[in-house]
Amino acid sequence: MSIQSQTVAEFAITYSRFLDAEGHPTQDLPESLKNADTLRKLYEYMVLNRTFDAKAVALQRTGKMGTYPSSAGQEAIGVGVGAAMQEGDVSVPYYRDHGAHLIRGGSIEEIYLLWGGDERGNDYATLKQDFPVAVPIASQSLHAVGVAKAIQYRKQSRAVVTFIGDGGTSEGDFYEAINLAGVWKLPVLFVINNNFWAISVPLSEQTICKTLAQKGIAAGVSGEQVDGNDVLAVTYATEQALKRIREGHGPHIIEALTYRMCDHTTADDAKRYQPPEEVESYKKEDPILRLRNYLVSQNLWDEEQEKTLYARVKQTVEQAVHAYESIPDQPPTAIFDYLYATLPHDLIEQRDILLANLGAHHE
Amino acid sequence: MSEITLVEAVTQALAYELAHDENVIVFGEDVGANGGVFRATEGLQKRFGTDRVLDTPLAESMIVGMAVGMAAEGLKPIAEIQFMGFIYPALDQIISHASRLRNRTRGRLSCPMVIRAPYGCGIHAPEHHSESTESILAHIPGLRVVIPSSPTRAYGLLLAAMRDPDPVIFLEPTRIYRKIKQEVPDNGVALPLDRCFLLREGTDITLVSWGAMLTETMTAAQNLQQQGINCEVIDVATIKPLDIDSIIQSVEKTGRCVIIHEAAKTCGVGAEIAAQLAEKALMSLRAPIQRVTGFDTIVPLYKMEHLYLPSVARILNAAHEVMAFE
Amino acid sequence: MKVFNLPDLGEGLPDAQIREWHVKPGDIVEIDQPLVAMETAKAVVEVPSPWAGEIGELHGSVDDIIDTGAQLVTFKTITSTHAEKKDTGTVVGHIERTNAVVPETAQVFERTSSQNIKATPAVKQLAKQLNVDLTQITGTGPNNTITAQDVKQATTQVSAKPAADFEPLKGVRRSMMQTMVKSHQEIVPATIFDEADIAAWADNQDITLRIIRAITHACKIEPSLNAWYDSAAQARKLFTDVNLGLAIDSDEGLFVPVIEKAQNNSELRNIINTYKTQVKNRSIPTEKLSGATISLSNFGVFAGQFATPVVVPPQVAIIGIGKIKDAAVVYQEQIVVHKMIPISLTFDHRAVTGGEASRFLYALMQDLKEAN
Repeated sequence: MSIQSQTVAEFAITYSRFLDAEGHPTQDLPESLKNADTLRKLYEYMVLNRTFDAKAVALQRTGKMGTYPSSAGQEAIGVGVGAAMQEGDVSVPYYRDHGAHLIRGGSIEEIYLLWGGDERGNDYATLKQDFPVAVPIASQSLHAVGVAKAIQYRKQSRAVVTFIGDGGTSEGDFYEAINLAGVWKLPVLFVINNNFWAISVPLSEQTICKTLAQKGIAAGVSGEQVDGNDVLAVTYATEQALKRIREGHGPHIIEALTYRMCDHTTADDAKRYQPPEEVESYKKEDPILRLRNYLVSQNLWDEEQEKTLYARVKQTVEQAVHAYESIPDQPPTAIFDYLYATLPHDLIEQRDILLANLGAHHE
Repeated sequence: MSEITLVEAVTQALAYELAHDENVIVFGEDVGANGGVFRATEGLQKRFGTDRVLDTPLAESMIVGMAVGMAAEGLKPIAEIQFMGFIYPALDQIISHASRLRNRTRGRLSCPMVIRAPYGCGIHAPEHHSESTESILAHIPGLRVVIPSSPTRAYGLLLAAMRDPDPVIFLEPTRIYRKIKQEVPDNGVALPLDRCFLLREGTDITLVSWGAMLTETMTAAQNLQQQGINCEVIDVATIKPLDIDSIIQSVEKTGRCVIIHEAAKTCGVGAEIAAQLAEKALMSLRAPIQRVTGFDTIVPLYKMEHLYLPSVARILNAAHEVMAFE
Repeated sequence: MKVFNLPDLGEGLPDAQIREWHVKPGDIVEIDQPLVAMETAKAVVEVPSPWAGEIGELHGSVDDIIDTGAQLVTFKTITSTHAEKKDTGTVVGHIERTNAVVPETAQVFERTSSQNIKATPAVKQLAKQLNVDLTQITGTGPNNTITAQDVKQATTQVSAKPAADFEPLKGVRRSMMQTMVKSHQEIVPATIFDEADIAAWADNQDITLRIIRAITHACKIEPSLNAWYDSAAQARKLFTDVNLGLAIDSDEGLFVPVIEKAQNNSELRNIINTYKTQVKNRSIPTEKLSGATISLSNFGVFAGQFATPVVVPPQVAIIGIGKIKDAAVVYQEQIVVHKMIPISLTFDHRAVTGGEASRFLYALMQDLKEAN
């Protein structure tokens, strides 16, 4: 005797890309991705991302900056997502999303300051609404949901984009965030940087899920996978997702597949656990290489432009380093000045102790 | 003989207990293949296998909650939380469950478990990696909070923690992880919990501290010796339950007490010690009790971290203040 | 011997130009040490050494173009091929290392029992002020703590064994000592001296009775000296009755029996005589020794004119009478010889003003000067 039952829910997760590893189109590109300026801007910002990032690592190695989390090899995600965001949208990042910060008008100097141990790095000059990086893993997912709720409450057409790593999707906060986003239909896009490593723990030990995008199914939130090294795929998926989000269709998850071509942080040594042949095999998936090949094949890029770009990027980075290194120190009282809107009485005494121990009194 | 650092003493203790107690399971993020981000579990997975030393997915509440379940079932879970700054998602499991399972079941179930976490500031780390909020944990009935300050004590106290039938939070000061080297015989001998350690005998002032601040405290004691002020230095080691009797005994001798801790001042463990001294040792005090602590601020990022940390100079100031009374 | 070929310096570049060598044959290099600066179409790139060892031969000079994959440097000897990154042993920040081995000096704290004096800082302060040795006192406070009261009591308690030749105070002498200490602790004494001219006295005046009458008269005029003062409550009580404490000396020591209602007591002389006998016989009833509202000390029986007798709390005044003498005085612009009686009035300035004391003394003297 066979038991009767019926399927009441099914799910499918799609994967998409536009360019293969060599930069050849795998399908017809949509109109928005045929715009030469758009494509060149994406390319330039990935180059900027890689260059400033390498410089950050070099600064750390020479003792001029503290521990720094590199985004090497993962530039297409930050840049691709950031390119599709609009002014007024809120970014709630984790800590490898430098590309999004830069392409939306954030400065390199801010990133250097933060990892250089100066809180002013979180006091963004232009991206006033963005959250600072989130070190406690996945805590930012809930903040994103809160920002989205405020936007919804005020009936604005702004969107929230929040980033997270593959390891972060194991945290309770992530599940709580997508669940609430789902049931309240919040205008938030969750972007998962799946670079296959959570410090030394590979994806295979993090979860048995076939995709991370499908974690959204548990919350009733749609999700998709894209080739995270194809900036065109990333930016297109983001564009489409944000359009639907602004129209009130609710949250979405984009899982961007890439590989962490760097240590977890400058203090980590990935050679201890990343199989060298695996790392080697991902070199050909390089996002910058692939877009360049495509641009060149479309006669949108040449050696001259390449030279000029690299010279310009080098100068931009040098200027940022100079600004970072020459910024005057914060006054010691800055330790107290930003704890509360107004410094409470009991802290005034402690501030005085600090000043007394410096041997000088300030007004 | 093994001349080892504090973090290596942790490894040595873990290895000893893994070898002698089949119920011991060590787990956390990056503790297996990578040997821990500070190498505290270096080589253990290789030696004892993936059944005994496990990498978990990235979720702190899960790590501690799971430990509660394992412990209740008779295993001896030794969980690592990567930094004290990441223990907060797990506070619900610690406070609502680990600390009270024995009490709620009248002793039928209990939580013999250890949560290890690197803790404290001073290593130029990014945000959230410099926490010393031990007083949150010390406030909770049913918990033990232990903070070693030398390789010898790390080894002996961690063994004791792992053998204790109740939950222990073992906070390892990162700043001195490799700053001190000692010969620590791997003899499996535990040191007592709930007891202070005497680091230096003295007659004029009792200096009370724990963790990495003992480095500055001992330096201050040496400076003061040259000024003819003879300090007694106590390492509290077990913050909770507090061995106040030892501190009282010392203060009865010296009449003066300066408590030093890195954690913020308000409701720091120093406040508890001072209150108990006022209750029980008032008759012996020759001067008010002084506390030298971190300010009531968030620990600054590393450009200004040095301004926050209680310095030797501040300890000396406090010592001079208590000596001025008669 | 091992040949190092020019690696791909970035994204498939075909060649690069030598800009500057950083090493020469014979140099010993480490892994990652920069060997040469090469210029590509994009930038000038430092080429790091893949191995540690000794440089053998350089395959090109400055400005030479080298193909990617072609020989760049031949190493004479290799000491290491593993590009081992030094393990920082952390994932953030910087962990300071040491190689110095130090001994463990810590010991588990040994508990012993306490031998300390149990007294609060405030009580210790009081003991210091009163010169009391706390080690000799048993506390009566909670947990045998020494209280302030214990300390005050100890000021009259014997706290040490007398040395040889010292005779411990007993009985009346001891009592006097205790009274004097108590007075000293509490009273703020001030004294006014004067002499009364008793030339007018009729014959056979009873000196003591005259003095007593003068005192009671003064008490009527200025009652604030016939009073008690309560230091704890900071309050005073004035009396209408003059219960006069009369100091009577004896071999044993000083007694101060009280003559009740001295202001209209017709039996004064009898009472005084009775007291003198009782003092001599050591039979004076204890209740007669307390309750004085003001006291009289006729100390000048043998010698002494003026003095500052001791006010005994809660009283606020004591009159001291010195030896009556013949003195040369100015009387109606003449120098004459009159009998003078020296008077010392000591009062507690906490409760009595100078004015009050002065008025009292005046009234007393006026009465004394009368013929009878």
